[in-house]
Amino acid sequence: MAGRANIPTNSSALIAIIADEDTVTGFLLAGVGNVDLRKKTNYLIVDNKTTVKQIEDAFKEFTTREDIAIVLISQYVANMIRFLVDGYNKPVPAILEIPSKDHPYDPAHDSVLSRVKYLFSAESVASDRR
Amino acid sequence: MAAATEELQFLGSIPGPESAGEVDGAVAEEGRPRGGDDEEILRFMDSVDGYLLLMNSLSSALRQGWLDLASARHSMGPSRVLSTLFDHKEQSAATKLQVVDHDGLKPSEPKPHFALSKWSLQEECYSTYDVSERAFTEPKMRHRGSVTTPENGNHESANTTASSTGADASNHVQRARSKALSVFGGLVSPKLRTAQLSFETALDLIVELANSRSNMLASFSQLKE
Repeated sequence: MAGRANIPTNSSALIAIIADEDTVTGFLLAGVGNVDLRKKTNYLIVDNKTTVKQIEDAFKEFTTREDIAIVLISQYVANMIRFLVDGYNKPVPAILEIPSKDHPYDPAHDSVLSRVKYLFSAESVASDRR
Repeated sequence: MAAATEELQFLGSIPGPESAGEVDGAVAEEGRPRGGDDEEILRFMDSVDGYLLLMNSLSSALRQGWLDLASARHSMGPSRVLSTLFDHKEQSAATKLQVVDHDGLKPSEPKPHFALSKWSLQEECYSTYDVSERAFTEPKMRHRGSVTTPENGNHESANTTASSTGADASNHVQRARSKALSVFGGLVSPKLRTAQLSFETALDLIVELANSRSNMLASFSQLKE
């Protein structure tokens, strides 16, 4: 169908994680860790030595891999690459911003909620009625 | 109630009386009720509310997991609970996702549905929030186990098969969990085990969140049109 995003059915997709060490460790304990033949992992541990470029590269890699269905990213890390996260609009992989130990979840910064929030703006309603 | 208040605060100002008057005027001018729009708006609001509630639950699960992890690190020693201990040899994830494309309200809307398959079990894990999605289950999704109704109606053998399949699955899950924990050594703190369970709970919530996100974006697309 024209204009329809293609979502291939996938019966064994991965969850990717871009977060601090404790969050990644916890999810690896839950069994989501994957290392492929080229030693590429489905997670990136962000610490004070991680550069913004590394985070950007990981985000771009995870969102273009066909075997990844959900990308978990700590919200404070997402804020470092906000322009990339907000510009992402594919249905799969789904980007979910999660809280971290030191940075609680803030719905005002969530890219998905920001996208739909304008629906409730008085200006947008008024302009639609004209 | 608190969640609803938080949602309204997040969403900002609701259109005031002057724009509500415009809305009423628009309804009167058109001479027909906007029932379809109202339903879609309600569906959208429900999905946003569900998303925020799930995120709240996820925060709690993660907090518990971090606390348990910190306790385990305290009792086992900081050098025994590190991400660097994880094996970088080739390995497949034990917990994966199944993604099925459900058609949105219109054929042009993609609406993926996610299901969690924990510890390599071919198991569907439907969210309690997303109960309505069960109606859209496609036959091609794999179903767990090999339990079938016997043709001669011998229910006892069916029950025995079900219980043995369940016991096998439970043993499999325990072995898989132990394997994941073994990265940190043979004897691990009970807190590490509870941390593992907390993060498994977080995974369930994350899959529900992904489905909620999918519903929200589908409703949003519908409303925009």
